[in-house]
Amino acid sequence: MPNKLTCPKCGSEMNHHADKLIYPSEKLQTMAIDPALDGLIEETHACPGCGAVASRRAQ
Amino acid sequence: MTNCRALSIPVILGTTRKGRMSAHAARFMIRQIEKRPDISTELIDLSELPMPIDDAGEEIKDGAFSNKMTLADALVIVTPEYNHSFPGLLKHILDSCLKEYIHKAAGIVGVSAGPFGGVRAIQDFLPVIRELGLVNIFWDVNFGNVASMFDETGKLLDQAFVKRADKFLDELVWMAKTLRYGRENIALE
Repeated sequence: MPNKLTCPKCGSEMNHHADKLIYPSEKLQTMAIDPALDGLIEETHACPGCGAVASRRAQ
Repeated sequence: MTNCRALSIPVILGTTRKGRMSAHAARFMIRQIEKRPDISTELIDLSELPMPIDDAGEEIKDGAFSNKMTLADALVIVTPEYNHSFPGLLKHILDSCLKEYIHKAAGIVGVSAGPFGGVRAIQDFLPVIRELGLVNIFWDVNFGNVASMFDETGKLLDQAFVKRADKFLDELVWMAKTLRYGRENIALE
């Protein structure tokens, strides 16, 4: 399991609640496409402390 | 609930057209939301947002709009129906964010000069809402024949819309609370 994100606003541990499939168009990103999904996974995280949201490319 | 922050439910006025009657509908929805305790709201007017057209998507993200979407627990999107669909500029600005919307509630208010209350615009809009990660509720508000729904000052002339908006907001608030709990407490397996 990848490391939990820390909220950049309040420092709380964030909750990873969604994986969004995205379809990149830039060449560097297209090289990283998961062939099984035909895209890249962007993780979405929310902060239970202040409601902030953050995302990162799935590991 | 893990926190007691007020719910944030902004209203997006989805057209920049001069003389837009959707502005009356949007302000009516703001007034209805303001009657409810513990909910903050504001009007987000498309015509007041920077909207470059030499690029698109997250490349044109506006910081202030992004912050409002981050804070939002739900969106009320007021869209007119133009040529049987929703305005292209509305999609242009919505496309500028993504993570800000995911697992948040959305309700659509349709507006039309004709009798159908924007239903064709709403039907076209639903796949977009879904792909943005928003969760649409099953209530809509439909202002058909909108020129006869408000007077020139924006006063509502048909009080039936108060109850319709109330039912719409009941569902939207429930969905907003539920999704906030899920976002902040239930981890993806």
